[in-house]
Amino acid sequence: MDYKIEEGGAIIKVRISGVLTFDDHERFKSVVKAINESDSATAEIDLGETKMIDSAGIGMLLLANDRAKKAGKEVRLTGANGHVLKVIQLSKVDEIIPVES
Amino acid sequence: MSAQPAPASAPEPVPSDDARILVVDDLRSSRMLIGSVLKSAGFSNIDYAGDGIEALERFEAHEPDIILLDIVMPRMDGFEVSHAIRNRFDSDVPILVQSGVQEAEQRVRAFDMGATDLVSKPINAGELISRLRLHIERRRLIARLKRYQKRMDEELHTAEGMQMSLMKEAPEVDAITYPRQARMETFYRPSYKLGGDLWDVFEIDEHRFGVLMVDLSGHGVSAAINAFRLHMLAERSEADAGDPGAWLARLSDELYEILPIEHFATAFYGVFDKRDLSLTFAGAGAPTPVLRRHDGSVEHLDASGLIMGCRSGGQYGNQRIALQPGDRLCLYSDALYENFDTPDGALSVDELSALIVATMEGEVREGFTTDLIQRVFGSMPESFPDDLTILMLEVIQP
Repeated sequence: MDYKIEEGGAIIKVRISGVLTFDDHERFKSVVKAINESDSATAEIDLGETKMIDSAGIGMLLLANDRAKKAGKEVRLTGANGHVLKVIQLSKVDEIIPVES
Repeated sequence: MSAQPAPASAPEPVPSDDARILVVDDLRSSRMLIGSVLKSAGFSNIDYAGDGIEALERFEAHEPDIILLDIVMPRMDGFEVSHAIRNRFDSDVPILVQSGVQEAEQRVRAFDMGATDLVSKPINAGELISRLRLHIERRRLIARLKRYQKRMDEELHTAEGMQMSLMKEAPEVDAITYPRQARMETFYRPSYKLGGDLWDVFEIDEHRFGVLMVDLSGHGVSAAINAFRLHMLAERSEADAGDPGAWLARLSDELYEILPIEHFATAFYGVFDKRDLSLTFAGAGAPTPVLRRHDGSVEHLDASGLIMGCRSGGQYGNQRIALQPGDRLCLYSDALYENFDTPDGALSVDELSALIVATMEGEVREGFTTDLIQRVFGSMPESFPDDLTILMLEVIQP
């Protein structure tokens, strides 16, 4: 996976592209860190360009959400489509992390 | 501030090294010289050979840790010795070849014949010792890593056996399902020795049995440990497993207590009841089960639901379907359709469903799961990128 971070005001936006899997564990830590260290109260994880996600990838989103909550922030997922959207619908992750289309 | 007096000129203690060194040189004076250089550097375990034939004899009698080899010798030269050690004896012992700086062609040939490195001739004591130490250390490091890897392989192999034993053998499954008017086929293969998939079939009472399929997030050792934990939790409460939704909810709450935040499980749990040939089931984010009715029609069951172990108090609703003899239901883990190397090559539910249904055509017979794998992957792969489980449940005639 690759990611781009856009910081501006109330929202920090993280765009994840490619596939989000077990192998991205280390790299995703910097996403978690960036969200927690930003001044924004809301983090938007944009999955519009994320092609596939595996169970470890879902785990990373859960981790980011948990860490952000503990830092008093909100996380939401946006743009999910295709395989990623199916995984989210199947696993009902939206009961834990808000999902916007 | 006074200068420290210079230490008395006692010689620095030389660390001793018992690496076995075989020195091969046809000149006695050269062997003596090299021997004394090695001894003064702390090497105490030195063997000598005066030509190639003798070198191979010494090698065979006791394999050294490193060989210092001359090229030009009577009877058998250094190239042949090197070649024989690599090929005839299949040894990866480091071979340091003594070679004059000018002899470029000879140096290349030495490597072709299996030399590890070159040392200049005539011998330069400092260079010789440095290179020897380098290659001896390297060899020791590799030996250590090999020992470590062997031990890990053995431990993983043991753990693999333990994990496989969690899953029932076909006769045990048959003994549960046949008296309850059903037949099941199962397939489980971890991606690497240990896996995070788990399935179970167990008796609930004389009419009913439960079918559980779980996929712990991730794979490898951590997923396997979580699979063991889940197996224990599940086994403890098999007795009151008649209500699938409530059962998954309780398992989920228990998993939530023990799993780290980024770990979870997907699951399908169904209870088959032979009294009315019904299947009552609940899903927790499991891949879509495919049902092929005896008349050829196809239905996709909804096994979506909050993945287990992410929070407490998750709710799982029950669904119930009526079945008839000849109906066949296929459950599978996501490794059957996901393809992370070429995301566009992943199968959609409809594509996979079509393959499953095609595999289910025809008479009752063994081998559904392997047929399906061959249809999906083209052949039976040596290994799978993720843990793969396939369960097939068929209602049979009374």
